[in-house]
Amino acid sequence: MADKATRAPTKAEPKQKGPPPTAVPPPKPKLSKAERRELQEKQRAAKSEAAAAGPSTKPGPAKQKPQKPSADAPPFSVAASQQGAAAPSRRRSFSSSTGPGAAHDIRSLHIFSHFGLPKSSSHGIKGDIHPAIVRLALQFSEFKIVGANARCIATLTAFKTLIQEYQTPPQITLSRHLMTYLSPQISYLVSAGRPMSVSMGNAIRHLKYEISILDIDMPEQDAKNFLCERINHFIRDRIVVADQVIQQLCLEKIHNGDIVLTYARSSVVEKALLEAHQAHISFSVIVVDSLPLGEAKHLLHTLTSAGIPTTYITLPALPSILSSVTTVLLGAHALHSNGALFSRAGTALVAMMARSRGVPVLVCCETYKFSDGVSLDSFTKNELAPAPKKSPNSTNPPNLHVLSPLYDLTPPSNITAVVTEVGLIPPSSVPMVISGRGLNQGA
Amino acid sequence: MKNMDYYQSPRIPFPDITLTGTTASSSSLLPAIGEDDDNVGAPVPFDIHVAYRRHLANEDVPMPIAAILALTELITNTNAGTMYELVEALKTAAAVLKKRTPNPISLTAGCDLFIRYVTTYRTPTYDFEAQKAELVAQGQEYGRTVVRQCREKIADHAFGFIKDEAVVLTHSYSRVVIKALLKAGKKKRISVYVTEARPRGLGMKTHEVLTAAGIPCTVVLDAAVAYVMEKVDLVLVGSEAVVESGGLINAVGSYQAAVIAKALNKPFYALAESYKFLRLFPLSQYDLPTHNPHTLSFPSHVPETHPSNFAPSSPRPGVPSRTYSTAGLFTSPPTSAEQIIKNPEVDYTRADLITLVFSDVGILTPAGVSQFLVGMFAD
Repeated sequence: MADKATRAPTKAEPKQKGPPPTAVPPPKPKLSKAERRELQEKQRAAKSEAAAAGPSTKPGPAKQKPQKPSADAPPFSVAASQQGAAAPSRRRSFSSSTGPGAAHDIRSLHIFSHFGLPKSSSHGIKGDIHPAIVRLALQFSEFKIVGANARCIATLTAFKTLIQEYQTPPQITLSRHLMTYLSPQISYLVSAGRPMSVSMGNAIRHLKYEISILDIDMPEQDAKNFLCERINHFIRDRIVVADQVIQQLCLEKIHNGDIVLTYARSSVVEKALLEAHQAHISFSVIVVDSLPLGEAKHLLHTLTSAGIPTTYITLPALPSILSSVTTVLLGAHALHSNGALFSRAGTALVAMMARSRGVPVLVCCETYKFSDGVSLDSFTKNELAPAPKKSPNSTNPPNLHVLSPLYDLTPPSNITAVVTEVGLIPPSSVPMVISGRGLNQGA
Repeated sequence: MKNMDYYQSPRIPFPDITLTGTTASSSSLLPAIGEDDDNVGAPVPFDIHVAYRRHLANEDVPMPIAAILALTELITNTNAGTMYELVEALKTAAAVLKKRTPNPISLTAGCDLFIRYVTTYRTPTYDFEAQKAELVAQGQEYGRTVVRQCREKIADHAFGFIKDEAVVLTHSYSRVVIKALLKAGKKKRISVYVTEARPRGLGMKTHEVLTAAGIPCTVVLDAAVAYVMEKVDLVLVGSEAVVESGGLINAVGSYQAAVIAKALNKPFYALAESYKFLRLFPLSQYDLPTHNPHTLSFPSHVPETHPSNFAPSSPRPGVPSRTYSTAGLFTSPPTSAEQIIKNPEVDYTRADLITLVFSDVGILTPAGVSQFLVGMFAD
């Protein structure tokens, strides 16, 4: 989001959050502790960031793009903006959006207070955090790198840098020590950046597996090169090629005269639509958008630039336009093994309405986003969307709570088919793919 | 993953689709091969479609098996020197078959199965000619034995679900359904409603066979399915293909029978041999490979008629002569041949309308069919 990218968080923000931890009622001492620790980490991160990221990011800005990068563009071309680097990452919590009434907010909405909070184990930034990770965490928290694929590729690319610059201490082998070096980096990434996405989790698990099977006698540089090559292969096989297969499969499901509806912005769906257009299928697209992220505007821009007839609507207009839709194409953050889709908030609504009108709902999802967990609702695990930019003179009344979860959960009953690189499968076959393909070789 | 073991357990064992058979000694079992051997030296190029039609002429050979047999003939006729060339030749032949057949759904399942078998075929011998002979032998052995075995197993599975004094509704004509009904009819007192299945009227054939076997059987009009559904205990249909969604592609009319059965809470069972399992995921009727822009299209220009002149375009006085023919002669008025040609031959029944699928690999839920297919083809 262009407006978010230019946003300059003030230094006062973290200080505003001083009151909440102390004002939290005593029955929740754990939360307050976590909050305080959080704050300390932020401040510490801010200091190290200002010191480390400042000089290292300077060579970058030549390639700076106004848009957030898509999965195929190297995410590292986006350098952290200087204002962003100067300030600590914003806390995405209710308190940041309300100020004086923060204590009251936390009490009244505390069933959602775990949204976006990092796991309790992710403290302890001991030792050095690599500048690439610091920068990545910032880019995540500022929503400059958004999307499961983009975040996964960015993380793996950063890890390649880390691995190449890593020096094994004497008397220890790389395969035994590298993970202990990477673990705090990962912890930092999920505590200062955003919680780990399923895609990143699976990729990291794969990397751990590759490290664990390294031959002890392999020379250090060879081992590093080998690991980087394995990472490249993972990106190529599980993301890039998988996306190409998914695009081909989508092509078979988009016919002449179709009206395809999509929600928010998914890199795979975007590419599939462009591919179908290049294959001279005449179809039109309805892009559904919603607040606060407004991601679909970027999709709209891409599609209209390519010459695809596109309609832009917001979520409330969905029912009136749905009768003309032939297919719904959705992207995925993760797909749980019960077939439930974890995707951008609003997706569940779109899928439910489409199914109620008999419109087939297709979910484009690479198998590396499959999660072996089961999810039944979107409350147990979620994140908060960044607070929308406020005009400086508007003050929210103290009794106003802003709650915008980032994701929601679409039950499998509302999904017709999942388009994966192994073919179109019903959501009920997701566990079959997870077990059959050995999603994570390390498991 | 700590939960991995849990997901291993619901995995359905692979079917006995491996083309088990003996060695080349069985190559002369089919008379068709004898004919074909004459062609080997002849300048006439091998025509896969002719071979397919020839196999299909045999009453007992279903389309997927005819396709497999035609492909084995191709192996004997091809001069491919490597496995890659062979697979490419098979793929080309399969594409030709699909192109030249108006309804290639069922045949595609057979082609896919055989090509997949060939691609995964591993043998210790390096003699490629011997490998080819082995493939041909196994393909023919499969084609010769599998049909009867499958139908036998399916009839056994269905037997337990057909209770004494059950009233069964079936649609059109299906060899496997007939087999199941005959088997059940021997031990239990069942009665059968069979749909007429316009326009081909194959339901009359079912009626004939069952009546001859002493099973009370009544033909119902396709439009009367909802009428009889109340009295029906279970619906049994055959299939052209079972697809990846767990749904079913079958003669047109199956979908409406399934919808009505669901509405009245009657079990709807599909009978499908495992060689009819097809990697295809239709999203709707209009997403089927058989669908084309002419299917049920509106006329581009409507001739101007007086509003009162609503009689059929070619009214035939007197009793309409009803002719049932399997050869595709659509002479039953008042629907004209052009009107019938515009109509679909098959339709797609969604997975959520199907209670169970009886197959030679077991009694599967629609989700189980899908998992089976994913397990069979995804590797």
